[in-house]
Amino acid sequence: MSFLAKVYDVELRNIMKKFQNNVVVQDFNLQVEQGEFVSFLGPSGCGKTTTLNMIAGFLEPDGGDLLIKGQRMNGVPPYKRELGMVFQTYSLFPHMTVAENIAYGLKLRKVNKAEMKERVDRVLSLVKLPNVADRYPKQLSGGQRQRIAIARALVIEPSLLLLDEPLSNLDAKLREELRDELKRLHHEIGVTTIFVTHDQEEALSLSDRIVVLNHGFVEQIGTPLEIYNEPASEFVHTFIGKTNRLEGEVVEVNGDRLTVRTNEGLLIHAAKQTRKFAPNQKVIAFVRPEKIQLSATESNEAENNVKGELQIASFLGSYTECEVKVGGNTLSVKVQKLIDKATEQEAAKGIVCYWKAEDVLIMPTERG
Amino acid sequence: MSRRLSVTLLTAPALIVLLGVFVIPMLLMLLLSFQDAQQAFSLENYALFFQDTFYLEILWRTIRVSLWTVLATLLLGYPVAMFMAQATGKMRGIVTMCILAPHLISVVIRNFGWVVVLGEKGWINETLIALGMIETPLRLLYNELGVVIGLTDSFIAYMVLALATSLYSIDPSLNKAASILGASRARTFFSVTLPLSLPGIVAGTTLVFSLSMSAFVTPALMGGTSVKVIPVLAYEQIMSTLNWPLGAALAFLLLGSTIVLVSLYTKLIENKRYKEVFAS
Repeated sequence: MSFLAKVYDVELRNIMKKFQNNVVVQDFNLQVEQGEFVSFLGPSGCGKTTTLNMIAGFLEPDGGDLLIKGQRMNGVPPYKRELGMVFQTYSLFPHMTVAENIAYGLKLRKVNKAEMKERVDRVLSLVKLPNVADRYPKQLSGGQRQRIAIARALVIEPSLLLLDEPLSNLDAKLREELRDELKRLHHEIGVTTIFVTHDQEEALSLSDRIVVLNHGFVEQIGTPLEIYNEPASEFVHTFIGKTNRLEGEVVEVNGDRLTVRTNEGLLIHAAKQTRKFAPNQKVIAFVRPEKIQLSATESNEAENNVKGELQIASFLGSYTECEVKVGGNTLSVKVQKLIDKATEQEAAKGIVCYWKAEDVLIMPTERG
Repeated sequence: MSRRLSVTLLTAPALIVLLGVFVIPMLLMLLLSFQDAQQAFSLENYALFFQDTFYLEILWRTIRVSLWTVLATLLLGYPVAMFMAQATGKMRGIVTMCILAPHLISVVIRNFGWVVVLGEKGWINETLIALGMIETPLRLLYNELGVVIGLTDSFIAYMVLALATSLYSIDPSLNKAASILGASRARTFFSVTLPLSLPGIVAGTTLVFSLSMSAFVTPALMGGTSVKVIPVLAYEQIMSTLNWPLGAALAFLLLGSTIVLVSLYTKLIENKRYKEVFAS
């Protein structure tokens, strides 16, 4: 290694893992900068937890190199890696009090009593639970337990914090609360963090960068904005957020503008495409539900204006989710305003959906 | 029919049998233990026990042999229980079968099996002599060691199953948590696995201790005449000497000592923290 080579907090070089003859992670390359918050996002079985377990040392890669702070870690047992980890099931030691749980890692590092107490107190106030030191884990709520688990991981001042779906055992409201808490903690401490989740909202809201994984392959690595707006593949686009997926073929190309006719005959205008297409090429057009507007009359600003009939309107608090039948296609539309009964009946007879050409994403049909 | 009445009627057969063959005979034996040769009320059987060091020595030997058995089953059983806890469902079933299968054979036959293995001309001694490692046969039978070996074989299954039950309930991710916090495998075992298996240890040791204290067949067959324990002595008093009152007194002294020792033991272990952590 050259002395000029940049040292990353975590570096994966061509990491590969197989179980029996099943390759579960392949060609995983990643560099994590100091202080970065990186999420591994993907459906179950995509290899995200396997990769995290390799970084932690619970699994050994079958190929490639794993470096933490520039040191090759292949073959180093977990207890020598100086990492912090938070598990889905909290994994607090039930026979120890909260204070003993947190002090466990400090005891192993032979920290003296006075300093131990000070550090335990400090980290307890950091997670905003200063008064539970003498309780046992089972006397705490799920959210409190996970905060203690985070405190236990942070108190040893790890070089790297690993979070293995830490929020997925909590109910919706607590999950959001703890998500904000994680964000605040990362802001305050700045510890390099790798976060495994299958929840795209968690990944989008917390991460500096997201690694989208599917079937053991890295689909895309990018900032939340890049992942959302410039998906590298159909999988990334459909996995992150809801979308309308319309298959069809290109009828006209004009620079970065093109027109697509869906298989059901709907004409869609698209603009600002980064990919190149040719006429008659089989493609898929994507439009996010929140980019589509509903109106009684056609819009002059939007290139796409289609007439349809409102079929279902579900009021979901801050927004309303609608399904609009447009010819042979059904569009999912998300609108901010409330739709009252009268409007709904009116819209069932006829309504205009409109959206801008630049809000359409065109991708080639895979294997075609 | 009321629910209460039907419950009473359904449990009645078992209750009658238990009362008739267990509780009443026990009470009769208790009365018997307070009789002298003239069938008058007397404490002389109990007095004899505490005055004659012969009996106290035998009681102490009974306790000693039981404690060694507890230790041997615990040390030999723990790794097996850990293996079971970590194994897959199918493997678990196979191991459970292997542990329970010997119990399909009468304890008498199993003990005679040990006699063949451990005797002066048994294969252990023959092998060691053939290898030139010893010159005269080791005494593995008809002493306390022989009894402990026999009892360990008889009761290790109870220990393993009790330990395994409590090991199953330990969340495997706790090992991962300890490991990532810096604990080696040995450290993880002593600071996490072992303390969390305490209920299993208490259950297993109590069970094996009580069973060993009252064991009769194994000490009789593998201890010979020189290693007498209380159950064997009580049997002799009743069946050979026909001194029923003394035999009954010995039986109740054995029962009393077992109860006292087990209660002291559990009191000692089940402190405030234990209750806090393991109370359901």
